[in-house]
Amino acid sequence: MSESSAVVQVRDLVKEHGHGESRVRAVDEVDLVVPEGQTLAVMGPSGCGKSTLLHLMGGLERPSRGEVWLAGQRIDGLSERALARMRRRSVGFVFQAFHLVEELSAVENVELPALLAGRSPRQARRRAGALLERVGLTARARHLPSQLSGGQRQRVAIARALANEPLVVLADEPTGNLDSAATLDVLRIFEELRSAGQTLVIVTHDERVAATADRLVSMRDGMFVDDTRLAGFHPRGLGGLIGLEG
Amino acid sequence: MQDAVLAMLAKEPSHGYGLRARLRQSLGPLGESMNPGQIYVTLSRLEKAGLVVCERADGLPERPDRKVYALTPAGQQRVATWLAEVGWPKPDMAEFHLKLVAAAAAWLADPVELIAAQRRELLRRLREAQQAILAEPAGSKATLLLEGVVLRLQADLRWLEVCERAWSRGGASRADDRVEGV
Amino acid sequence: MGSIVLVVRLVLADVRRHPSQVAMLLFAVTVATATLALGLSLGGTSRTLYEQTRAATAGPDVVALSGDTGPAVTSALAELAADPDVVAHHGPYRIVYADLTTRGSVTSPVVVHGFAEKPGALNRPLVTSGQWVRSGGAVVERGFATALGVGVGDRVTIAGRPYPVVGIAVTAATSIYPWAAQIGPGGGPSDYTGLAWMTRSDARELASSEDLPVTTAVDVKLRDPAATEAFREAHRGSDVTVDFHSWQRKAEQDAVILRGTQPILVLGSWLLSFLVVAGVAALAAGRAVQQTRRAGLLKAVGATPGLIAAVLLTEYLAVALLADVLGLVIARLTVPVIASPTASRIGDIGGPTGPVIAAATVLAVAVAVLSALRPTLRALRTATVTALADTAHRPRHRPRLTALSARLPTPFLLGLRLTARRPGRVVLQACSTATTLIALTGLLSLSVQTSRGYGLNGSTALPNLRAENTGHLLIAVSALLIALAVVNIIAFTWTTAMEARPSLAVARALGATPGQVSAGLSIAQLLPCVPGALIGVPLGIGVFSVLSPGNAALAPVSSMLIAALATLLVTVALTALPAHLAARRPVVPVLSADTP
Repeated sequence: MSESSAVVQVRDLVKEHGHGESRVRAVDEVDLVVPEGQTLAVMGPSGCGKSTLLHLMGGLERPSRGEVWLAGQRIDGLSERALARMRRRSVGFVFQAFHLVEELSAVENVELPALLAGRSPRQARRRAGALLERVGLTARARHLPSQLSGGQRQRVAIARALANEPLVVLADEPTGNLDSAATLDVLRIFEELRSAGQTLVIVTHDERVAATADRLVSMRDGMFVDDTRLAGFHPRGLGGLIGLEG
Repeated sequence: MQDAVLAMLAKEPSHGYGLRARLRQSLGPLGESMNPGQIYVTLSRLEKAGLVVCERADGLPERPDRKVYALTPAGQQRVATWLAEVGWPKPDMAEFHLKLVAAAAAWLADPVELIAAQRRELLRRLREAQQAILAEPAGSKATLLLEGVVLRLQADLRWLEVCERAWSRGGASRADDRVEGV
Repeated sequence: MGSIVLVVRLVLADVRRHPSQVAMLLFAVTVATATLALGLSLGGTSRTLYEQTRAATAGPDVVALSGDTGPAVTSALAELAADPDVVAHHGPYRIVYADLTTRGSVTSPVVVHGFAEKPGALNRPLVTSGQWVRSGGAVVERGFATALGVGVGDRVTIAGRPYPVVGIAVTAATSIYPWAAQIGPGGGPSDYTGLAWMTRSDARELASSEDLPVTTAVDVKLRDPAATEAFREAHRGSDVTVDFHSWQRKAEQDAVILRGTQPILVLGSWLLSFLVVAGVAALAAGRAVQQTRRAGLLKAVGATPGLIAAVLLTEYLAVALLADVLGLVIARLTVPVIASPTASRIGDIGGPTGPVIAAATVLAVAVAVLSALRPTLRALRTATVTALADTAHRPRHRPRLTALSARLPTPFLLGLRLTARRPGRVVLQACSTATTLIALTGLLSLSVQTSRGYGLNGSTALPNLRAENTGHLLIAVSALLIALAVVNIIAFTWTTAMEARPSLAVARALGATPGQVSAGLSIAQLLPCVPGALIGVPLGIGVFSVLSPGNAALAPVSSMLIAALATLLVTVALTALPAHLAARRPVVPVLSADTP
């Protein structure tokens, strides 16, 4: 794949936590290219460094060493202010704990990034309305997060992540707090984003979520141990899954 | 398969055509891989075993399939037994386990590599099943079956994870297993 | 027993974790209790000191003064001494009205009492340094001498005649400096006056040679020292006009010098207490989530609600009571300085009385309870599971305010929304700012006061001790108020930042820059201060008018408005650092928390 189409690229990335004896390498010399339009899942047990990798890609944390490129721009050396602007423009975050602003209604949460990016309140509201429709929550636009179910909250959070039409959506354990029905709702939205060509990086420990991706990277102790392409394989037929054949 | 076809006839006698439609509806996307002739093969076997009887339907000359199948008392007996049965298909894990042991013992292959390959395969299947679920309309009963497949595959993947941990501890160093990013 | 050990252990652990908060609570409550104890202690101090001086100097029960002089007056006063109720007397003696000038050219009115070289049984001034009068040498009253800055061996000029100061003494026969004159020449009103003693012959010579006004007085001791009023009544209507100055009246006059200080201290202590409660409550609220969670943990392992309340309250109470003790000690140490601004009295004020200790303790306990009440109640009320789930206080949804803030630039958007999260704190903060401005208005108005000095013709070469004492206290109390208000602003900002940490972390993740977040935090603090400042100025004017004499001048309104503006600017400046620090905290730990 050509590097010019890479939305996210990391080179020789290292992130260390702690000092001296207690120093741990959360991310240990990782290289990764996420081309445009790819849905990438990063899987691994808790503490393997996958969330840290995601934070590094979104500029929420700074690497100890190595490079992070976002849309052709190197971001690991940017100032906090420039990083914030970059996130505003290019990155949408989805968190395990949703992290909606509790005192704001669903639509107010969704329009927040657009307001931060300096759009007019009317534009921001219109965009937020459209996004809530996309995640099927138009009827709940005026509800507070506390009045929504976990799955609905996460859908609001996804809509919020899309508010500024980001280059990449970074999702950190997006279904970690959800039951299986709500997980399906979220996966349906991800599937829709995937088919619309949205670049998406999902960190998860759930095989089921990982399996919706085009590509799966497995992490252990800060390193990649496997990189599998899941998409584009001819199915042997679903029937094979339940022994209907033969 | 035979038992399921028999049970479906318990409601009322049916054409082979109708049976096939009902089966496919219940299985959802999984039923699509079903051989179209399979139902007739099954029915004729059941007929030979004396569990169903085949009658020609009268007054429906325009229908290409005029055979109507019904349960015999023996067939009904078999359905009742089947429903009461608590057996459960045994997942075949022993084979894969022995494969790993043999490969490691004879230095035929790296068990960790075998596990990784198996894992990839299961993940692709999981993706397939997952996408089939997402494609199903809400409320479809077939989703339940797919859900079962997904959960099964997840369980298998977790078992592979346990295997991988055990084999990579005893086997080669981690660095050798490391796969660089594409 | 086991539960007491547990409570103590938990309290100690918490104190170790939050030393700065404990230090703040300790400081704030100490200041408040010290001020209150001081204010309440002042009530009886003048009398205590007067009585001790009276005992040490054989103070007369009544001083009878006549504005005139001459044989008729002398015999009329001598007649008084012959009253059967009089058990001892001193005099009649001369009181000469003159000016006293020091070598430093400070001039003050002075009354010179002509006394025997050998003191009698009654009105024996206590010589605190040097010796008693001798021919050609003067003794200066200690309060007067201190104000003049003269000591034994210095030379002073009285009515143009030089005298060496041979001694310094105190007496209970007159009120404290500057009220030594008691009556003016001819029985008229008197100016601020000091006291000096000379031998009888020196006094006579001074009066006659310089043709100075002279009055006559006699000191008497009554059988019943309390019956001064009866004595006065019995001798009314004599031919000669005689003023009777009882010892009670002198003690009361002594207290006049403190008249301005006590309200400042008592009112100041209430304002200080309010600021303490506001600041400590804000800090406590900042810890509420943690406390609730801790209470949940304790409940989960089987602690009773009583134990949980005990742990939370014990910490605040223990610190407040320690602060109470410190405050009482500070009050005890500072009360002599404040209670006796002149050196005219001797004696010991003694420790704080029972009621004063009780009032200070009640204040300390009230502060502790008020500050800890909400977190304690919340911790007790919250179900164990909810507490463990770490859910914080949930702010209300304010759609209109949210829509309004959406139109504003990002820092204002964040600031307005942060302000709206905690309406209770907005009120506290507004009150805190108002308190600061009350103090500032008082200070500004104080600076434009002109008080009549104690020197000759009101010269300020000898400063007005009463106004000075009041002014110093006002400055001290205002400084404490402002210091606490500053601490409060920082505490408020930090608490707001800590409480809004999840929201701010989200805003950062969504692309708010650290600069926008810290500006938002500063604005959130500033918004409630604006109404506070606007209310504070008129309140300050009101408080100052109530506390000061009717003729007191007010500072110009323009300077008060500048003070209000300056307060707002200082608030912004003070919030800048905590806001800056809070805005630059890493967001990942907050965002990684896996519970919503």
